[in-house]
Amino acid sequence: MNYIDCFRALARRRTDEIVVTSAGNSSQAWWAVTRDSEASFYLDASMSLSTMFASGLALAQPQLKIWAFMGDGAFCMNPGMLMVEREMNLPNLTHFLVSNRAYGGTSNAVLPNFADNDYAAMARAMGLSRVFEFRSIDAIDRGFSQLSGANAPGHTFVVLEVEPFSAQEQKLEQPPFDGPELKFRFGRLVERRANCSVFGYRL
Amino acid sequence: MTDKPSDVAHEIVNELAACDVKLVASLPDNWLMGLISAIDADQRFVHVRVNREESAIGLCSGAYMGALGSAALMGASGFMTVVYAITKINYTYEIPLFLILTLRGAVGDHHKHHVSNGLYLRSVLEGINMPYQVLDSSRDIPSISRCYRHTRIYGRPMAVLLTRDLLLGESR
Repeated sequence: MNYIDCFRALARRRTDEIVVTSAGNSSQAWWAVTRDSEASFYLDASMSLSTMFASGLALAQPQLKIWAFMGDGAFCMNPGMLMVEREMNLPNLTHFLVSNRAYGGTSNAVLPNFADNDYAAMARAMGLSRVFEFRSIDAIDRGFSQLSGANAPGHTFVVLEVEPFSAQEQKLEQPPFDGPELKFRFGRLVERRANCSVFGYRL
Repeated sequence: MTDKPSDVAHEIVNELAACDVKLVASLPDNWLMGLISAIDADQRFVHVRVNREESAIGLCSGAYMGALGSAALMGASGFMTVVYAITKINYTYEIPLFLILTLRGAVGDHHKHHVSNGLYLRSVLEGINMPYQVLDSSRDIPSISRCYRHTRIYGRPMAVLLTRDLLLGESR
């Protein structure tokens, strides 16, 4: 499945989910298909921590539905995160593992054991039960409704098997935001949606 | 005030609650076990045991973006593994973070394998321009609230460093 087509398919199914992306290609891809500058936090600087960041947000605001993207390169750096996610078991969090079997953000450098890593099996071994795998756009079209019931019991883990970025796709624009601008744009949206005060004062 | 370890743990816990910390992410250090147990037993907190220290940084940073007060609790050795996460997440996006660390390797620490923390922990904190304050007795515990509030003003991380004398009583 083409990486960008996969993200287009997800974007078409997005309703009011707040998104956290990861270091590497997921930020480029999500920015390319959505140009979302408020309800997405492009956590570019975060090898392996996008879903922990998203877990903190999901815990803080249980009424918000959170999608978090992470590449398998990031996942391999910190697979134990799933133990924490399983124990927190947040029903409003969906962890999308974007498996391109490469370090996409670093020119598709080779990932250890890339041919044999079974991410869904690893998740199940850590006790997750809401585990899904999609290998084609058709599969997303057919099966996405099973997981779109966020706020169903338990945390959701979705493996998306995609092709690595092509040389042309690697040139896609990175989200252009300075860090503090992104923080404030995103935080103000959270404040509006959740009627809370992130920064200690509301505008 | 008394320096009895269980009292110290409860004083720290009350101080955290007073500054509206709701989430505590922790990794163990033998000096912190009493404090971690006190937090775990206290219904005012959600206590999350994380798999590694970087996960605590991610979790607490996300909690901030959801308006939830938090603290990351870890040993000095664990802190030495999180420089990337802090400089990338908390400095790039200017996200406040409150860290509670042990001041390992200082006078009173009997463990030779913590000598490196004695040599380098403060240097590393200073090297990344992270403010810190040493808490050495129960009289210092009210500083927790002040330091926590400072993270919100400063928009970046700050650490308090807990000594062995504070956590376990004065050693020889």
